[in-house]
Amino acid sequence: MFINVYTISIVFSITFLIVVIELVIKNKLQERYSLLWIFMSIVLLVFSSTPVIINTLADWLDIKNPPSLLFLFGLVYLLIYNLHVTTVVSRQSEKITKLTQEIALLKHTWDQENKKEKN
Amino acid sequence: MKILVIIPAYNEEASIGAVISQIKHSTPEADIVVVNDGSKDNTSSRAREAGAVVIDLPFNLGIGGAMQTGYKYAAQNNYDIAVQVDGDGQHDPSYIKTLMQPVLENRADMAIGSRYVSKTGYKSPLLRRTGMLFFSTLVSLLTGQHVKDTTSGFRVVNKKIIKFFAENYPTDYPEVDVLVRLHRKNFRIIEIPVEMHERQGGKSSITAIRSIYYMIKVSLSLIIGSIRSADSKTAEE
Repeated sequence: MFINVYTISIVFSITFLIVVIELVIKNKLQERYSLLWIFMSIVLLVFSSTPVIINTLADWLDIKNPPSLLFLFGLVYLLIYNLHVTTVVSRQSEKITKLTQEIALLKHTWDQENKKEKN
Repeated sequence: MKILVIIPAYNEEASIGAVISQIKHSTPEADIVVVNDGSKDNTSSRAREAGAVVIDLPFNLGIGGAMQTGYKYAAQNNYDIAVQVDGDGQHDPSYIKTLMQPVLENRADMAIGSRYVSKTGYKSPLLRRTGMLFFSTLVSLLTGQHVKDTTSGFRVVNKKIIKFFAENYPTDYPEVDVLVRLHRKNFRIIEIPVEMHERQGGKSSITAIRSIYYMIKVSLSLIIGSIRSADSKTAEE
């Protein structure tokens, strides 16, 4: 077996899949965020182990060097995943703002109650 | 009639005490709440010494988040009128009464203290003036109402708007954004001429480089906002 872009991709996608599952098992990555990664490594695995798919696709799209399609796929996928992550960040920062406001208001009420009790 | 003056403050120890005592002098019937937005200096203790209620945010949320905390406090404690005043001393508290007038008479839901409606003592730097003209034009286009001083943070609102703001307030650079949101909800906005001073201490949150970002960011959120409202209108129909 030669070392080429396909074999490297196969090794990489298998390792990646194992790492992702490992992280989920250790509770370092939530299932919902792991789904897209698992999906991606499986697709990558299929593409790199059956070059005929990528070759046919490349032919259709008029891409001279079929492995470029792998890179294109990876790039587009990362772009989409990044967008997904920023929506998650936005949602969380909104929640953090609300929590911070609630905490500040509660703390104020609590201090006031304490003062009343002392008097 | 319960009146609350909300002062969002970030590192304003130099001016906050004076601002509070001026408000107490000019509007003795009002309660004062300072929302300390994670200041690194003694803003919180200065404000307490001056006799204001202080709400300390555990870290810096930015002006929008701090302001909204004040409105949440106003809503929870059932205030009828809320007054927004900057902590840096550029707003003259003696104008609070003038600003409250149209709201009390129910001629408007919000009154904005404006530097530009007629000749007042304030003269702002060129860059700032350009930005303000830009926003003023943009707001006119989007709302059909002419507001000259769109970035003024010297404002008085009634109970309806207090409730609205407690639920719905933009995170950063809120002043301009709010005008369009209120217009969409058919609130009435009025502009009243006031005099403004140079800031007494601290630093403006808007520097030269940031102002470019400010203009782009606010324009974007205004345009997105109008698309969003168009969407929700068609959805309601």
